[in-house]
Parts: sequence; structure tokens; C-alpha cells
Amino acid sequence: MRARGHGAARRRVTVGALIAALLALPAVIGALPASDAAVPAAELRSRALATDSLGFSGYAVSAGSLALPVTDQLSSVADLFSNRTSMRVWWRGPADNRVDVVTPAGETGTHRGPGATWTWEYETATATRAAANPLELPAPPDLLPSSLGHRLLSEAVDSELSRIGARRVAGRDTLGLRLTPAAAAASVSRVDVWIDAGTGLPLQVEVVEKGARRPAMDTRFLDLDLAVPAPETTAFTPPPGASVREGREAEVVLEAGRRVRPVELPAELAGLPRRRLDGVPPGIGLYGSGVTLLAVAPVPHDLADGLRNALSASPDAVVDELGTRVAAGPVALMIVQPPGRGPYVLTGTVTLDALASAAGRLPDLVNTP
Amino acid sequence: MIVVELRKMFRRPRTWATIAVLNALPLLVAVLLLLTDLAPRAGQGPPFLSAVLRNGALYPLAALAIVLPLFLPIAVAVVAGDSIAGEAQAGTLRYLLARPVGRTRLLVAKLVAVLAFVLVTVVVVAGVGYVIGSTLFDAQPIGGTSVSGTPLTSADLSGRTLLAIGYVAVSMLGVAAFALLFSTLTDSPLGATMGALAVLVASSLLFTLDAASPIAPYLPTRYWLAFVDLFRDPIQWRDITRGLALQGLYVGVLLAAAWANFTTKDITS
Repeated sequence: MRARGHGAARRRVTVGALIAALLALPAVIGALPASDAAVPAAELRSRALATDSLGFSGYAVSAGSLALPVTDQLSSVADLFSNRTSMRVWWRGPADNRVDVVTPAGETGTHRGPGATWTWEYETATATRAAANPLELPAPPDLLPSSLGHRLLSEAVDSELSRIGARRVAGRDTLGLRLTPAAAAASVSRVDVWIDAGTGLPLQVEVVEKGARRPAMDTRFLDLDLAVPAPETTAFTPPPGASVREGREAEVVLEAGRRVRPVELPAELAGLPRRRLDGVPPGIGLYGSGVTLLAVAPVPHDLADGLRNALSASPDAVVDELGTRVAAGPVALMIVQPPGRGPYVLTGTVTLDALASAAGRLPDLVNTP
Repeated sequence: MIVVELRKMFRRPRTWATIAVLNALPLLVAVLLLLTDLAPRAGQGPPFLSAVLRNGALYPLAALAIVLPLFLPIAVAVVAGDSIAGEAQAGTLRYLLARPVGRTRLLVAKLVAVLAFVLVTVVVVAGVGYVIGSTLFDAQPIGGTSVSGTPLTSADLSGRTLLAIGYVAVSMLGVAAFALLFSTLTDSPLGATMGALAVLVASSLLFTLDAASPIAPYLPTRYWLAFVDLFRDPIQWRDITRGLALQGLYVGVLLAAAWANFTTKDITS
């Protein structure tokens, strides 16, 4: 009887030890140190920006917590920044790549080729072809750590950059680069970009707003293969039986540009200088650079009314004599309607105070016929 | 011993009644789909169900996706939960062990019988799904379209469907292992079954919570729907391999615990 009792205890201890070892395994693997390298911040940025044409494939996940108060027409954009998005990517270059957003029951694939982009939606069996346009709404490929890292680092100045050690991302050693925006109007306190020590490819990007501890946006690779994918993997031909459509997004953007009232906007707002970008309708004012950007658009009344209703529904909305404004993470939006004049929409990665400061200068503007 | 258990399992009317009930739900869904022609909207409903109206050859997969979240695990939990506790409740366990049969051998035989039930059930659901799909819907004999929008030959589609059947069967092994462990802990088959289902409900609930994302990769239900990845192009092996490894871990650990408990347990009934 005693022997049997010993046997039972030994078996239970063995099984307990096995379970404890298995439970501890993820923590042990996660604690493996990453090897750092003495690479200056400016050089690390240059290395990252030089990887635009590097071929690779992988699996990335982005998680955003930005509840953007937008109208129904832009719900797909809002979903991008508020949801968890899983992406498979095959990258042969900026003009030849494929990004599939995978969901449990289907997927939406974006195949970018020379001059045109195909979007495939499995659940509706729809293939949409859109011509390349300099001004496009945010899409899943823009959330890839490599794309977002390039975009955010491209306009950073050396004085805004610092090194922050190393960590392992997608099983590879990465070097940390911190971007701290210099502009007083910035709503982003820092952007941490984790750059592959071997190739310079950004593998993780975390965007943290002022006053927050956790990132408002975190996008990272979970798997990465540095072999250049085959051209047939990124190419797309609509399958038999699919509905084939022409994309209307470019026309929608152009139409929105046509509906903007012609207004002479100032050369500087909220301390941010005005800038020009290809494809932006002339009536829209863009200000700032890097991760601190502000857009001002004189919009028609019906659009402003819909947006004002969406903003007012937010419990954090601030309504005063200047207008209605709200911040969704680091992104701020505001509707301004000066007495006797048409409304404006202001939005960007700036603080609410900066938006109010910019709005305060709008009533002085003069309409041009 | 294994042959005895298999014969006992498949001679029970209850086993076949369970399998028949499991097939009733996909049949009902197919009839409703045919009568109303209302496919689930994008992002809603079980995987492949909206695609069935375009290609009935996908109905075996839709049928598996319909029963996978709830009905299939309930059936597996009922059968596995009954394996040891049912004998104890009926008072036959002590007579079973009075024969010159080791407890480990009995546990292995019960496990093999449960595995056979899982495999037969999944194959029957897929087979009935095939019959439903090819008779009630327009099946494309030349193949179909992958989830990624590339053409699939009928050989591709058949091969990937077989892999999906195998994957779904393996996904049920974790449920079976939980129920078998609980079956060695109690003399009540209902208690063992409910224990396994409680684990599944907890796992499914936690999987929907963002706050539980750090533990999500270890939840037993986390990779169940990864069989859809077999129909992407190229096949996405990431979640499939993780799902297989996770089920292997659960089966290994839970069966080790069941063995440690059962081989030293005082059998009183």
C-alpha cells in the first residue's frame, strides 16, 4: 500500500514538473536577450530608409486603439486604426507587392503592380482594379511596420532621434530608434521603431500619444523571410466567376477636392508651416511635417453637418464658441463654422489646444471668389 | 482490448444517433440557404457558407465549420467523458479491471476508441456535406477558387479538403483529452462532459477579449478555424502548425495527468 502511495506521488510530481516546464517555456523564450550594436541614431535611420526596395515576405499584425469618430463613408479607414489587423505580405518593391488581410472566414488581398492595384475580396468574390493615384485613403499595406516605419522616419530630423536599446522581433535582433517630435503642437510623444540589425528593415513601430503609457498603434512582424518572393505570387488575375469592377476611390477623392471651397489659407497655422503634396486639391491646406501634420479643408455644409454629428456623439467632445473638437488617441478632429462663413474641417496629429489655436485664425480669412 | 472498445463504441446506437444529429444541422442550414438564397454577409456566418451558393463543392467545409464551434466538441466531450466515468457509474469498472488488464492498457484502449469516434464523425459530416453540396447546389467539377482568388483544380480542392478533415479531427483531440482526464477524476460522466465543455466555453470567451491576448496562443480553441488557411494561396501553414502543436501539447499533458491519476486511483465502483 505504501509502495503504491510512493508511486502515485512520484507520478503526480513528474506530471506536475512537466506542466510547470511547459508553462515556463514561453516566458524563457521571451526573455532571451537581443544583441545590441553601437549604431548612431542618424545612421540607423539612413539604413532603414535605404530598405524601400528590399524584397521579403512575412506575417504582420497591427493593433490600433484609435476610435475615430467618422461618418459611414470612412468606416473602413476607422476600422484600420481601431482593430487588430492580420496581414500576409510579399514585397518585391514599392510598385510590386501583395498584402492580404486575413480574417477567420476570408481575406482581402491588395496586389500592387505597375500602374494599377487589384483588390480581391473573397467573401463577395469581387476583384476591383484601381489606377495608381498620388492621393489615396489609408489602406492595410500602409500599416505594415516597414511602410509605416519608412513614412514616419522619412521626415524626421537628426535632433529628434535617439537610440533605445535592442529587442527581438519576429525572432530577429532589432535595434531601437526613438523619434520624439520637436513641434510643440505634436500630439505624439514618441514613435519607437525597431529596425532589423542585419538588413535595416523596420520590424515594429509603436506610436505613443502624449500622456499615455501604452501605444495607440502597434504594428509588428511576427514572421519574416528575407528571400525575394516570386513575381507570380504578387501578380493577380481575376478568377473565373469573379465580379470585376473599376475602383471609384480616386474619383471620390477628386470629387471631394472639387467640393472644397476656394479659400486663401495662411502660410502657417499652430506654429506649423504650410506644405504642398502631389495630388492634394489646391483648396486643402496641409501643415507640418513628419509625425506632426495638420490638414485644413473648407467643406460644404452637408459634409460638415454629418461630421459634427459624429464628433458630438463622442463623450470626450469639446464644444465651445470655436467649434466642436475631439481627440481619438493622437488624431484630433475639429469642425469650425465662423459666423456668416462656410465651415472648415481641421484634423491631424496635433493636440486639441493646437487645433483651437489654428481655428482661432480662420475667421480672419478672406474668401476669394 | 482496443478492438473490444472499438466494437463496443460503434455497436452502441447512441454513437450513431449522435453522428446523425450532428449532420442534421448542416442539412437544415443547406435547405434554408436553398429556399431563401440568403447567403451570410461578408465577415458574418461560418467560413465558406457564403461561397457555397457559387460552388457546392465547398459544402463539406461549410458543414465542418457549422458544427465545429459547438456541436462537434459537445459530441466528443459526451463520448470521451463517458469512457471511464460511464463504466464507474454503471458499476462495471471494477469488473473490467478484475480481468488481467492493466489500467494503462484500458486507458489507451478508451483513448483509441474516442479517437476513432472523432475521425468517423468528422469524415461522416464531410461526406454528408459533399452529398448535400453536390445535390442541392451547383458544384463546379473543374475545381474552384482559393480564398486568395487563385484558381484551384479539383485535385487541389480534394487534397486540401482531406487535409482540412484531418486537421479538424486533430483539433478535437484536446477536447477529448480534457473529457478523458475529467472522466478519471469523477464517477459521473455528466460531470466529466460538463467539465470539458466549461473549459471550451471559457476558452472561446477569452479568445474574444483583447485583454486576454497574451494567453490567446495557448487557448485550446485558438486555432480551430485555421483549416481555412489550407485554402489560401500560398497555404498559410503558420496557424496550422501551431494548432497541431498545441493540440499535441494538450493531449500529451492531459493524458499524462489522466494516466498518473487513473493508475493509482482507488476503484470503488
